[in-house]
Amino acid sequence: MMSKNKIVLAEDNSTLSLLLKFRLEKEGYELLMAVDGKEAVDLIESQSPDLVITDIMMPFISGLEVISHVRNKLALEIPIIVFSSAGQEEMVLKAFSLGANDFMGKPFSPNELVIRVKRLLG
Amino acid sequence: MIDYQYFIDHFEEFPFLVQLVWRISVVLFLTIILLTIYLKVIRYHLRKKENEYKTFKKEYEALLVEYLYADKENEQISNEQQSIILKIKTHIPIKYKRKMVISVLYNLMNEVSGEMADSIKTLYYQTGLIDYALTRLKNKNWFVIAKGIGELRRFKVEEAHDEVAKFIKHPKNEVRKETQLYLVNLFRFEGLSFLNELKTPLSEWAQLQLLEVLQKFDDQQICDIKPWLKSKNDTVVLFALKLAQIYNQFEVKDILIELLSHKEKEIRICVIEVLTNLYGIEAKEMLKTNFNQLSIEEQLSFFKLLENLVDPSDETFIEQHLFHKNFEIQLLALKILKTINIDKFLSLNKLRSNKEVPEMYKFANNS
Amino acid sequence: MDSSTLDIILKIIHYLFFAYAFSAIGSYIILSIISGKETIDYLKRKSFVNYKDILSSTMAPTITIIAPAYNESLNVVENVRSLLSNHYVNYNVIIVNDGSKDDSLEKLIAAYDLDKVDYIINEKIKTKPLRSGVFKSKNPAFEKLMVVDKENGGKADALNMGLNISTSKYVACIDVDCLLIEDALQKMIKPFLEVTDAKVIATGGVIRIANSCVINGGKLIDVNLPKSLLLQSQILEYLRAFLLGRMAWSRLNGLLVISGAFGVFDKKIAIDVGGYDTNTVGEDMEIIVRMRRYMEEQGRKYKVSYIPDPLCWTEAPDNYKIFISQRNRWTRGTIETLRKHRKIGFNPKYGSFGLLSYPYWLIFERLAPIIEVVGLLYFAVLIILKEVRWEYALSFLVLAYLFSVLFSIAALYSEELTFHQYKKKGTGYKLVLLSALEPFVLHPFILYAAIRGNIDYYFNKKKKWGEMQRKGLTGKEA
Repeated sequence: MMSKNKIVLAEDNSTLSLLLKFRLEKEGYELLMAVDGKEAVDLIESQSPDLVITDIMMPFISGLEVISHVRNKLALEIPIIVFSSAGQEEMVLKAFSLGANDFMGKPFSPNELVIRVKRLLG
Repeated sequence: MIDYQYFIDHFEEFPFLVQLVWRISVVLFLTIILLTIYLKVIRYHLRKKENEYKTFKKEYEALLVEYLYADKENEQISNEQQSIILKIKTHIPIKYKRKMVISVLYNLMNEVSGEMADSIKTLYYQTGLIDYALTRLKNKNWFVIAKGIGELRRFKVEEAHDEVAKFIKHPKNEVRKETQLYLVNLFRFEGLSFLNELKTPLSEWAQLQLLEVLQKFDDQQICDIKPWLKSKNDTVVLFALKLAQIYNQFEVKDILIELLSHKEKEIRICVIEVLTNLYGIEAKEMLKTNFNQLSIEEQLSFFKLLENLVDPSDETFIEQHLFHKNFEIQLLALKILKTINIDKFLSLNKLRSNKEVPEMYKFANNS
Repeated sequence: MDSSTLDIILKIIHYLFFAYAFSAIGSYIILSIISGKETIDYLKRKSFVNYKDILSSTMAPTITIIAPAYNESLNVVENVRSLLSNHYVNYNVIIVNDGSKDDSLEKLIAAYDLDKVDYIINEKIKTKPLRSGVFKSKNPAFEKLMVVDKENGGKADALNMGLNISTSKYVACIDVDCLLIEDALQKMIKPFLEVTDAKVIATGGVIRIANSCVINGGKLIDVNLPKSLLLQSQILEYLRAFLLGRMAWSRLNGLLVISGAFGVFDKKIAIDVGGYDTNTVGEDMEIIVRMRRYMEEQGRKYKVSYIPDPLCWTEAPDNYKIFISQRNRWTRGTIETLRKHRKIGFNPKYGSFGLLSYPYWLIFERLAPIIEVVGLLYFAVLIILKEVRWEYALSFLVLAYLFSVLFSIAALYSEELTFHQYKKKGTGYKLVLLSALEPFVLHPFILYAAIRGNIDYYFNKKKKWGEMQRKGLTGKEA
């Protein structure tokens, strides 16, 4: 059997991350949780995940910096999905220019996220 | 015993003032001891509460996630969900647990859409949390009322409209603000009708919050903003100007032109911005003719916008202001000239004698 | 005959000292009560504010963080990161490298992919010129950052450079070695946007002591009470000053000082008054006094606001030598500011500013150490003359001591019931014990430093600014 795809999920809202963790684990992924950008970067470096999902506005290291770190410093091509809130359109554009693959505006539906994850890992 | 008696005798020989000071000192000393002990108690409770907070938060989060994934296609509320509701219901009479449930629910409500958000709202109703919020509206303390309104807004309880709307003229600013937010959050542009009669100032903070709320809606069908632009309340005018710009209100042009002579400078500056954003060239020509009557701030505001609207016909106008006394306007004039007539811009270099200008020129040239 | 005249003179002196001591204690009691009221009000208001609405708003006003840096090579990279991760959309950061002799600039260039950009400065306030120039990052993730390298001119000059460059409506002036909590800007900007019946010209923040706290990658992970008695006492002193004193003065709209380590200003007014004064060691107090004076003279209604939340953490001096030189500088700063603006004092034209805040600062802050020393000397003379009436002296000494302990405890209560930062078991007991010890372990040094400050101010004008050596934010306590 193939090993599970690993996903790093960086999100500082604990309830939302729990909800998404459950949902994605049900789909057969292995979830690595980070509460801020720094943890996310550490996890990406140590666990070499297959996908990164990150919120844009996070304590300490922002989602943008996470993307920049993955693409520039680590030179990884793994897909990245970003979450953004209303009013952060500009940041989303920056995220794309830094190399993000997809974005989801909050509020969003977890099912929709699953579809996008599947597409990127498919 | 003898020593004690001796002390008392001695004490009574002291002057009255000294006696008084010692008495106060003893009281202070005892107060300090009591406060120290009580501080320990407080700290103990705070620590305990914090630990409990963490455990309960985890518990409620898990319950909520379980609840959300337990819905069945054809049932409104599945049995599993019903049992979770009952479980939470037993916790909420305790104030701090109730607070925590609410914060967990709300934190998620904001982040997920559609059915899941509805599902959370159902939970809010079914557990009876809504009743606590409604009772708050009847409280005497303004901040309890404000909190209650805030909660009803977050969980989008439309039924409370009549109850909440009563507070729109409450003497406390915070209560009014929460009421305004509630109305706009639930009834969108219709909720803005309170602006018609608003006598009190609408702070910039409140304006930002309202705009944030409005921008979250997909339906951007705005109502008539003309009455607000004509309002006697300057803050309402400013707010309406922001609406005009965000929602491209072309039909208010005449009022905007009238507002150019409004007594408040802040409003005039804002009008210039809106006008040039909405009408571009047409507004530009008008403002160009009036330029010299404007204050420096208004002139600057116009020049900033001119940067994006400029065409070769503006050259004479720009040239007139290449030596404007305001640094920023001067710099903008240079930059604009460079975009419309590079040859003239380059020839300027030779004409300059002012010591500072070449620096500015160089900068405009490189940027 | 002779002895009765002496008696009368002595009596008058006694009464003067009494009057001073009692009005001081009285003012503390009143300020504590006012601060209690203000704190409760603040918490009530805060309890239902949702800052999240503002943090992502693109319509929110622009803020520039201006952080002067001088030889901060050790931590500058880390600290800039903390400044860049604030939760607010419309803000940028200007690091003004004030002629550092170390490799701060090189480190910043390497860490943030900086590139030199052409820049022209509108010199609204005269400053020292640029040195290497202005730098911006090539990486969009650091788009908010700008580094300005200029020739050395001191902190005030560096801040003025930042004021010239900033294009924002508001500026947050901060020490580069400060650690800012993520929601600092949202909270500090609120008063500017919320107050409608007066113009808010500045908002002051609280400074908390970061020594011994665990900081990882620019983020405050764990708050600890340092082991050193000097640091512990300063923590207590800060709690008293910020939670009791400033809170009360903010309610009275009488704040004369915003800590230089963290304050937000309305940029236009800061520039209109001419920016920071480069000729004083107390530029942080001076600018507030000048801005207030300007508003009073223009007849505009204004307010200096204050946010008590623990938003800014910084290193405090951990040895007595540096501590004394820091306080010496503060004393000189206060004297300079009060002297420069003495026109305001007791002048009804300046309203409560001239009749209440200024006199209070003059009498209970500026003159307190001098009066205390005079009192001590006088007491010594009395001992020599065997004129001391010990039953009075002793009782009043005990009373004064107990009062000072009580005020510290009041501050501790204020802290526990509001922000409760020192959560660890056993810390409460230590802090109470400290309240009892502080009059002996800290106060004599403060007094000494203040007297030295006075002497330096009047007799040693060339005294160089005490340069505060700082241990790195990430450095462990020795």
